[in-house]
Amino acid sequence: MKSWNGVSAVLAVLYLSFVLTPAPAAAGPAQDQILKHYQDLAGADVTFSADRGKEFFMAKHTGGKPKSPSCTSCHTKSPLKSGRTHANKKIAPMALSKTKDRYSELKKVKKWFRRNCRSVLGRECSPQEKGDFLVYMMGQ
Amino acid sequence: MHTTMGSKDNGTLRSDAEAPTRRANMQTKLSHSPEQQTGQAAGTTAFVVSAYANANANTSLEKSKSASTAGAMLIWDLPLRLFHWLLVGAVTVAAITGFLAPEWWLDVHSWAGYTIGFLVIFRVLWGLWGTFYARFRSFIFPVDETLAHLRALAQKKPGHYKGHNPAGALMVFTLLGTLIALTVSGLIILGGQENIGVLAGYVSFATGSGAVEFHEILAFGLLGLIGAHLVGVLIESLLSRENLVRAMIDGRKSVSPVHAQSCVGHADTSAVNQRELPPAKRVWARAISTVLMVLLAGSGAAWALLKTPPNGYVAMPANKTYASECGDCHQAYHPSLLPGSSWKKLMAGLEDHFGEDASLDDESAKEVYAFLRRYASDKWDSEAANNLRQVATKNPITITATPYWQRRHKDIGKSVFAQKRSAPKAIVLPATKMR
Repeated sequence: MKSWNGVSAVLAVLYLSFVLTPAPAAAGPAQDQILKHYQDLAGADVTFSADRGKEFFMAKHTGGKPKSPSCTSCHTKSPLKSGRTHANKKIAPMALSKTKDRYSELKKVKKWFRRNCRSVLGRECSPQEKGDFLVYMMGQ
Repeated sequence: MHTTMGSKDNGTLRSDAEAPTRRANMQTKLSHSPEQQTGQAAGTTAFVVSAYANANANTSLEKSKSASTAGAMLIWDLPLRLFHWLLVGAVTVAAITGFLAPEWWLDVHSWAGYTIGFLVIFRVLWGLWGTFYARFRSFIFPVDETLAHLRALAQKKPGHYKGHNPAGALMVFTLLGTLIALTVSGLIILGGQENIGVLAGYVSFATGSGAVEFHEILAFGLLGLIGAHLVGVLIESLLSRENLVRAMIDGRKSVSPVHAQSCVGHADTSAVNQRELPPAKRVWARAISTVLMVLLAGSGAAWALLKTPPNGYVAMPANKTYASECGDCHQAYHPSLLPGSSWKKLMAGLEDHFGEDASLDDESAKEVYAFLRRYASDKWDSEAANNLRQVATKNPITITATPYWQRRHKDIGKSVFAQKRSAPKAIVLPATKMR
């Protein structure tokens, strides 16, 4: 009887950890690599948060270019939907589940963070902001 | 080539049926003034007009006799008439698309031009070996005869010619010459300005632009000539009481006794007819082989000419960095849309690129800049490069601010540009290869 309890306890813990962990579901080794890059920059004591990432993505910022006060100016409010550049070119959805090759090339990720943070916030984003953003998008 | 054979009964005009062969003479029952015929035959300058004349003397004799007695005979062969009316059609299309239609009708205009070129070449060859009245030498008149004809025309008593009269002949040559000049200048413009067509590889943009005025003057000249041609046909029809328009439809012209007095070369009508208008089958065989020859030679020449790539054309490999760094946000504009000096300024200000930060890492920026400079408008002789090379002094990095762009879009309302646009299809800038 006792042993059965032990087994079910282990199963329950496994089950709960599976359900509750906001695991970056579709993230592969390439994405992990990039997350690790920003984790290293932010320091080990910082934990990236998808909720903070979402808040950052949806927020209206100041200091950037007038055309783009928010990430959503171009990317729309849903990461699952495709956006439009100011030149009207289609932007593939930001969610990793929709665009499988996103966040797989560090050079590209760096470029877009540099450009878009400056356009939206008028400054570089911090490693933590970038990490939060990535965790949010990889979980979508 | 021509001998003015003084016919006894009219002093100024010569026979347009110059040299009936003796055999033809012998076989023909002459209906009019036998002594003139004999006189001409005796004074024959050996000028064998038709290669197939003698061979067909017998077969076409019956036909021509009946045509003679009916008072009308076949003068304009069917290929000639087809040429005439197809030319009317092609010139009409070319004129409408050239004078009135907007530029996007250029394709239709060019094809009308190619058709005209083809028809004119056919006509020139048909003028060398077509049936008698289609041949140039049957209507190349000496100057004094032409002047005499014009004088007689002024007195409303022009001599009657079965084929072209000297005034009409002048018109034919002028029209053909004008059409040749129009076709050639059109090809020069097409090759120079548009970089298309058979002369694309040989003519610069500047030369092509220079030919535009010439082409336009010729086009107005052609309009005038067409008007004169129609007036001439009308006058001649009235004076000779003969429907010349109908003659160009059914090919028949009157040789009735009414005309006999003034009808030049009328005496040998039947002889000429049976010799110079061979059976339709033969005329067709010759016409079709001429058409095939022109088409074959034309496509051969076009194939050879088109092997040369367009003048000022640059082989440009695709650049992946440019395609993604610039093409991710907007259409990857062809480098030839701005001059090198503009690209330089644009690349120096990427931090504020039309209201956005479009900065690049040094390595990418270097590569993109090298690509843009290398294939900038200074390096091409295309229409776009030439037209857009001049940039707006105050805004040298905006393609849509160039004077040319502004001029071409000035009639498009602001509301059109304000419309919410649908997603454009992804434009991939392809590598251009040497043809």
